[in-house]
Amino acid sequence: MSRYVVTRFLLMIPTLLAVAVLIFLLVRVVPGDIVELRLVSGGTYVTKDVIQAERARLGLNKPIWNQFVDWMVGLVRLDFGVSMWSGDKITHEIAIRLQLSLELAILATIIATVLAIPLGTLAAVRRGTWIDQAVQLFSVAGLAVPSFWLGILMILFFLTYFDWLPPLTFTPLWKNPAANLAQLIWPALAVGYRYSAVAARMTRSAMLEVLREDYIRTAWSKGLNQPVILWRHALRNALLPVTTVIGLEFAFLIGGLVVTEQVFNLNGIGKLIVDAISHRDYTLIQGLMLLVAAGYILANFIVDIVYAWLDPRISYG
Amino acid sequence: MARPVAVDTVSAAVLPLAAVRPHPLRRFARRYPLGAAGTFLIVAMLLLGIFANRVAPYDPVAADFGAMFIRPGPGHWFGTDAFGRDVLSRLLFGARTALVIGFASSIIGATIGAVVGVISAYFGGTTDLVLQRLVDILISFPIIILAMAIVAILGTGTINLIVAIALSFIPRAERVVRASALAIRATVYVEAARAIGAGHWRIIFRHMFPNVGAPYLVMLTAFLGQAILLEASLSFLGLGVSEPTPAWGLMLSGAAVNFARQAPWMAVFPGLAISIAVLAFNVLGDALRDALDPRLRT
Repeated sequence: MSRYVVTRFLLMIPTLLAVAVLIFLLVRVVPGDIVELRLVSGGTYVTKDVIQAERARLGLNKPIWNQFVDWMVGLVRLDFGVSMWSGDKITHEIAIRLQLSLELAILATIIATVLAIPLGTLAAVRRGTWIDQAVQLFSVAGLAVPSFWLGILMILFFLTYFDWLPPLTFTPLWKNPAANLAQLIWPALAVGYRYSAVAARMTRSAMLEVLREDYIRTAWSKGLNQPVILWRHALRNALLPVTTVIGLEFAFLIGGLVVTEQVFNLNGIGKLIVDAISHRDYTLIQGLMLLVAAGYILANFIVDIVYAWLDPRISYG
Repeated sequence: MARPVAVDTVSAAVLPLAAVRPHPLRRFARRYPLGAAGTFLIVAMLLLGIFANRVAPYDPVAADFGAMFIRPGPGHWFGTDAFGRDVLSRLLFGARTALVIGFASSIIGATIGAVVGVISAYFGGTTDLVLQRLVDILISFPIIILAMAIVAILGTGTINLIVAIALSFIPRAERVVRASALAIRATVYVEAARAIGAGHWRIIFRHMFPNVGAPYLVMLTAFLGQAILLEASLSFLGLGVSEPTPAWGLMLSGAAVNFARQAPWMAVFPGLAISIAVLAFNVLGDALRDALDPRLRT
């Protein structure tokens, strides 16, 4: 087991390296660079010398491979460089947003899990009844309704009846927990609905499969009571695929909430990505995309490990 | 796989008894009412989108500043927006935008992905290894981030949006199809084809490709829903279709909070349209999956 964990962990490094190369090249294919965008698009006349000097200052005049080596050397020392746009350290730029994105992702995961697992289990146990149909309707609708539109509807509702608009600034959890929750609970619900729909569908189909197994019939014929059979025998086995879905969705939430963040005026990782791309802020885009990809790859890794840990039948050499 | 359906059509042609057997499509509708409802909605949307210029009561792009923020009523069923444009007409033309982008990007993405997936499974070895690592890399970004990055490179606009969404689908399609193609590669008929001296490309396109039809179709319908959502999200962010082209995501951007008090209908109807469209493709996809291959359940 521990050997599997180590090899699986080491295998992430080449993938991440390849991701880094791809991001690096992708960013440089985007037409226009930050210098043009900031100096020339302002409408004022700048001499070629000024542009050259600015490019030199940002290291953009070096050959591409040289820029890449610089970035890699920095990464090894955990130095992500500074943002070309704001001049702040990338780690700092990301850290202040990651707080918000991480909290939102955790809240949404809690909402989704709390809704999805009981609903999915119930639907599977009462298969074919109106309960099952209601749960299926809930999840089919959850997959179709865009989270950002759900957010818009929430804002519309609160604005009309309570005169409330999402605040413009973010209140950290430790400063004022109530204000923080009041701000984040609605986006978490908007996102959590879709998330719970995905997880509820998974729980239902996994439970249906497990409930057909011989050992469940054996458990019934031994005269065990329903809660024991459901929770200890069935659900524990059905949770494996559900964990996968939850793990991967969580990783997606960190960087993928681009639109919902926009709707709720949240300055999270998603919004930072949009800004960085529109500013052609190479260093920041690189750092962010690498973070998002690393999060995804790490989530995959953790899911695999949890799989092996939850299911003793899976053995890895 | 498609076998049960195929057997039915054969018996329908041969046996006189077949007269009582309902048409396969009718059987599909009876067994999967939700799937049938989804198909009906999709056909309705297609017709409304194609004939938008005949059905729509007003011009979707012409501003009419004498008719701003009219409430939904007999003159304008879904009201008008900040430029006095009829929301219903914009929704109908928006269906055209959504469906053109949805179908084009899904078909391109799924097909290229499927071809690469079959090739990867057929050749195996180094080809497979290299392609799989490439897919690993592309799959490690959330789909919207990948699409955003591609839009940043190509620029906005309908064609670029189609390319961006299609490219983001390719690695996902590749994964799904490769898995099925691996099983097909091991079948006797592929071995037989090779034994009689069929070339690689003949085996790939004549023998393997047609047999990944079931997962391909299921995947395609799933992609259609996703593509419509993606188009709406990107247009909402200003990275997709640009004004004044009528598009559902674009209609939502800005409308929600800016005009919430005067004109809440501006934010309600486009979102409803997106949800119904995605719902229709999703329920059809579910029904197709159950009908074609229950093992594809994900």
